[in-house]
Amino acid sequence: MRNRTITIALILAAVVAIVAATRDQTRPGVPQMSAAGETAPPVGKDSVKFLVLGDTGTGDRGQYDTAVQAWKAHAVFPYEFAIMLGDNIYGSERPQDFKKKFETPYKPLLDANIPFYAALGNHDDPNQRYYKPFGMNGQRFYTYQKKDARFFALDSNYMDKDQQAWLEKELAASNSKWKIAYFHHPLYSSGATHGSEVDLRTIIEPLFKKHNVNVVFAGHEHFYERVKPQGGIYYFTAGGSAKLREGDIRSSNLTAKGFDTEQSFMVVELDGDVMRFQTISRSGKRVDSGEITRQNAGTQ
Amino acid sequence: MRFTTIAVLAGVVATAVPCRAQAPTAKPQAPSVNPSAAVIAAFTQRVNAYAALRKGVEKGEAKVERHTDPAKIEAEQKALVAKIQAARTAAKVGDIFTIESRPVFKRLLSPQLKGPDGAENKAAIKDDNPGAMTLKVNQPYPKREPLSTVPPDILKALPVLPQDVEYRFVGKHLILYDARASLIIDFIPNAIP
Repeated sequence: MRNRTITIALILAAVVAIVAATRDQTRPGVPQMSAAGETAPPVGKDSVKFLVLGDTGTGDRGQYDTAVQAWKAHAVFPYEFAIMLGDNIYGSERPQDFKKKFETPYKPLLDANIPFYAALGNHDDPNQRYYKPFGMNGQRFYTYQKKDARFFALDSNYMDKDQQAWLEKELAASNSKWKIAYFHHPLYSSGATHGSEVDLRTIIEPLFKKHNVNVVFAGHEHFYERVKPQGGIYYFTAGGSAKLREGDIRSSNLTAKGFDTEQSFMVVELDGDVMRFQTISRSGKRVDSGEITRQNAGTQ
Repeated sequence: MRFTTIAVLAGVVATAVPCRAQAPTAKPQAPSVNPSAAVIAAFTQRVNAYAALRKGVEKGEAKVERHTDPAKIEAEQKALVAKIQAARTAAKVGDIFTIESRPVFKRLLSPQLKGPDGAENKAAIKDDNPGAMTLKVNQPYPKREPLSTVPPDILKALPVLPQDVEYRFVGKHLILYDARASLIIDFIPNAIP
């Protein structure tokens, strides 16, 4: 009887230890969660949950495999919408290309009525804005609200005065707790092929700082990179959801975490003043994760 | 002697002042105009006329609208291209980027392509540039080719365009691109030195 009690106690202790070891930490800071394992469930009950895909439109095996993982992740982390960081359709853009390079790989998501909100990349015909499943409402650049977060989808291919004026106006008008911007070209990047878009940065980063943008997502570079906060803003590059430029990340003091050996995507949760992110590889492994606290936490 | 000199000078001033005062009665001259500004103003008129032409034909089946079926968008875009082409059958290189406007555009581009910032701008243009390709005015931009990014510095230096008319680069050529019809409106060969 005594042996049995000890055995049960040991089993319980082991279970508690395993749970404690695998449970994601939720303290503020970067990063807190383990990079190992698979997709973890969201923490917040009423959080804003979304999927981040970049440079997807190849129609090849890399895209399809990564799309399968994105759908698998949804079972654990039920994101409510997806953002696309440009290069949504590579090469020809015939109706059959939209099918092969978007509708078929993401069919489970579309069938589940998960809306997409795309930004334009340099490989995209600007008329993709009229394709309803991309959620652009006929606009090259646009904004939308998800609970206490406002999203700004920009056209970084053509940052003309109209767009700059619009961005300034919309950022100033927003009182949302979170301001998230996304577009194709990364303002900060350690990529050997492209690198940081310094010219674009000169124009829009001051607006981001002035109007308290919290997080920026970009694609273009075909890998994943979490950049160390720049001027208080968190920058992610996630342009490897189909195309992959293996070994393209050059070691620099910009990189907080880089991943360029497999395709990847992100799932993100905005929960009060905390944003939790996970980056999942084509083979379904969590390659980066963490949580950040909103820069102006406690306000609004 | 001294008095005489002063008197003479006073006389000169007295005659000069009325002359100045009478100047307005002379035939008024046209205010001087910066020749580059005049060229740009004329360019703006031509490009606005193009935008008005497009607006005029963009109706019915040729009006690009939002659809779930990309085939419908493609059909509308093709219809729009056909109507624009029909309305500009005589279109040729230099209709909008006229010969006299080319040096002005090159001059506007030049400072943006020199020095450290210029190198950044050139790199950005080259980054997504489709490179060598045959350009034809009033013909669709090849669907398979990427569109070059145009650095904000360069957009700032060039004349403002109407909605959905854009500057883009193909190789070293500056093109005027219709973003609604995906059509090449005109181009300046070798605009980048």
